[in-house]
Amino acid sequence: MSQGKFQMQKMLTRYGTILALIVLCAGFSFAVPGFLAGENGMNILRQIALLAVISEGFTMCLIVGELDLAFPHIASLSGALVAGLIFGGMAPLPAVLLSLATGLLFGFFSGLLVTKIGIPSLITTLATGIIAGGMVYMYTRGVSFYGQMPPSFLALGRGMVGPVPSLIFIMFVVVAVAQVFISKTRTGKYMQATGANQAASRLAGINTDRCKILALSLSGLAAAFTGILLTSRLGSANPEGASGFMMDAFASALLGMTVLSVGRANPFGTFIGALMIGVINNGMTLAGAPYYTQDIVKGLIILLSVTMTSLQAKRMAGN
Amino acid sequence: MSILETRNLTKEFPGVRALSDFSFTLEKGEIHGLVGENGAGKSTLVKILAGVYTPTSGSFLLGGREMRFRSPRDAAERVGVVHQERELIPHFSGWENLFLGMEFSSLGFLRKRRMREEALRFVEKYSMNIDLDLPASELGSGRQEMLAILKVLFRDPEVVIFDEPTAPLSVKECESLFALIRDLKAKGLPILYISHHLSEVLHLADRITVLRNGRKVSTVHAKDADEQTLIRLMIERDMESQYPKRSVSAGEELFTMERASSRKGRVRDVSMHVRRGEIVGFAGLVGAGRTELAKAVFCGSRFEEGRMTLAGKPFSSRGPGESIRKGIAMIPENRREEGVVADMTVGENLVLPLLKQLASLGFLRSRQCDLHANSVVDKLAIKISGLSQEARTLSGGNQQKVSVGKWFGTPSDLWIFDEPTQGIDVDAKREVYTIMGDLAERGAGVWFISSDLRELLAIADRIYVMKDFRIAGEFLPPFDDEEILGSMMGEGLRNVAG
Repeated sequence: MSQGKFQMQKMLTRYGTILALIVLCAGFSFAVPGFLAGENGMNILRQIALLAVISEGFTMCLIVGELDLAFPHIASLSGALVAGLIFGGMAPLPAVLLSLATGLLFGFFSGLLVTKIGIPSLITTLATGIIAGGMVYMYTRGVSFYGQMPPSFLALGRGMVGPVPSLIFIMFVVVAVAQVFISKTRTGKYMQATGANQAASRLAGINTDRCKILALSLSGLAAAFTGILLTSRLGSANPEGASGFMMDAFASALLGMTVLSVGRANPFGTFIGALMIGVINNGMTLAGAPYYTQDIVKGLIILLSVTMTSLQAKRMAGN
Repeated sequence: MSILETRNLTKEFPGVRALSDFSFTLEKGEIHGLVGENGAGKSTLVKILAGVYTPTSGSFLLGGREMRFRSPRDAAERVGVVHQERELIPHFSGWENLFLGMEFSSLGFLRKRRMREEALRFVEKYSMNIDLDLPASELGSGRQEMLAILKVLFRDPEVVIFDEPTAPLSVKECESLFALIRDLKAKGLPILYISHHLSEVLHLADRITVLRNGRKVSTVHAKDADEQTLIRLMIERDMESQYPKRSVSAGEELFTMERASSRKGRVRDVSMHVRRGEIVGFAGLVGAGRTELAKAVFCGSRFEEGRMTLAGKPFSSRGPGESIRKGIAMIPENRREEGVVADMTVGENLVLPLLKQLASLGFLRSRQCDLHANSVVDKLAIKISGLSQEARTLSGGNQQKVSVGKWFGTPSDLWIFDEPTQGIDVDAKREVYTIMGDLAERGAGVWFISSDLRELLAIADRIYVMKDFRIAGEFLPPFDDEEILGSMMGEGLRNVAG
């Protein structure tokens, strides 16, 4: 009897968030006919694609036990950079690579400061984020970049891969690669160990500094990629283009910490978190709720999920 | 044949010589016990052997060759240490923990199946019943300990050190641990076994080395020794002058506690009292509940049962603020974290509990503040360059004086000192004893928690021994140290003789 109860509890903690997502979808389907029908379903996935990609980067930081506040600014910077380079006459491929490298470098630099100098990541990335934000304005002079872009570049954000919009395809690839990297590779294992118990990991011979630098670099890379995708999708770049990702990415990763395992960030969970955010945004918009109520609902859902995690953690500590 | 040999190992920290001229040998297939009081130098020795500290002077040889570890990682394959706090990643499975830092992989991808098989094969050798697929956090305490030991053995070390391995284990788990240790000995592995439980050490070890004050007192054969001999070697008294004892006749009751139990079980059925002019010692092993009792009173824990009085009036408190107003001062164990605000100046620290009196309309009267701070500095002879010196830059002893001195000027009657002499040098210790004596002379009651039994025996007027969050005994002078030690270990001299 108690065994059954225990199993039930375990199932609930592992899959509770996914269950909540299903309930949410059912609720919206009831309120908005055709909510999950093909077209709107695709819509939701397309709307969360960029959020999911940028959140996976942030998830890497959470896994090694660090924070990143710089990623939205890095995304804006790379998004503007790729547009500027292309309008300046550069071919799409080198422009994209250069913009990716910029994001990677920002993350790498933050990682060095965090590990070698010992500045807390919260402060480091606050500063590098502000720097990146300033650089966007320096580069764009505060105006948006408009113009004709080569179709090959626009295909990145607007094209199709078979029947699937390219953004959705890219999102699934990123999520899958991140999940495999974390759970199946040696480096991914080391990153988990670093976040869970740094002292023990170091004693076991793991280079914890390298894991942290890698995580922050990957976050920078994911942010840059998101910025590029955004520019490609819109066909233009705005100096504040990606600033809105901060809160939703935090929310996705935090919600993700309630999926599969309690209290630990994981790439698949982050995807579920992003999906939840997307469903709430889309569903409430279609149901005609004013946009500000979406924020209130999102905030409440985050509090609820984190409360569940904390209570669970407390109970486990009590055992 | 000696596998490990140390030659005149010495480790100095600023102001403290934690280990001096330590020489000993560890033979093939030998279990060597290491005993001594807290602060005797046991953990310093372990940390040197494990590559955490580099010795100030002296050397150690492993398999006849001199070793210089640059880092713990360097050491891990030669010297395996089973630490008191188990070095496991909670959510990793048993075999993932075994392989931590030495995983098999190809092209960066983990060879999970091969690792799991290898781990299972390895564990089979020790015929232990551990589910290696469960996350470490879901194993019981005893299994976790076994897993931590297996993780050490998996690296195939030449020497294994056990540092208080039985602390978290039940009697039954202890027995299987001892069986494992004997098994390792039979395989020829030399073992250094550190424990507070003398009966365990006597039962297991072939030879036993006793440390006191960072020095080796003696190495004895276990079959020639008994607990009394070891205790005598551990706590040999020295110079009376180190312990200035004021004789004050005890006055009226200051604080009483009757059959108190706290909600969380951190205080269990405790009855005790402190009289004015009295220094009441609290002895016990680490984790016996001495700090918890003091904090429960000072921080105002909820008590389920029991009654307390302070200065003749019923006492209860909702938090440190109220306790301070009612006349309790606490000098906590963690001087740097809780005793002083390390980033603030000495002047600021010394007036912290008095800001209400030293301010008018919310503004601090800085001259009064400095006046008060300076008087405390003079009274306690705190060595500083000026009131604006930051507390973090002070030596341990001077920091402790600031931690005490900040209560001067408060209406404190009951002074709780939690391990006030830990990590400070001999002269500073003597000054702390003098301060406690002065307080008692002025009619305060002193509640003195210490793990250094010698100082308790010398300074206290009465000693309570705590064990498992209860009072296990009350002792009056002339103190019998062996009786007190026996009471600290409890009948819990675990039943291992069988």
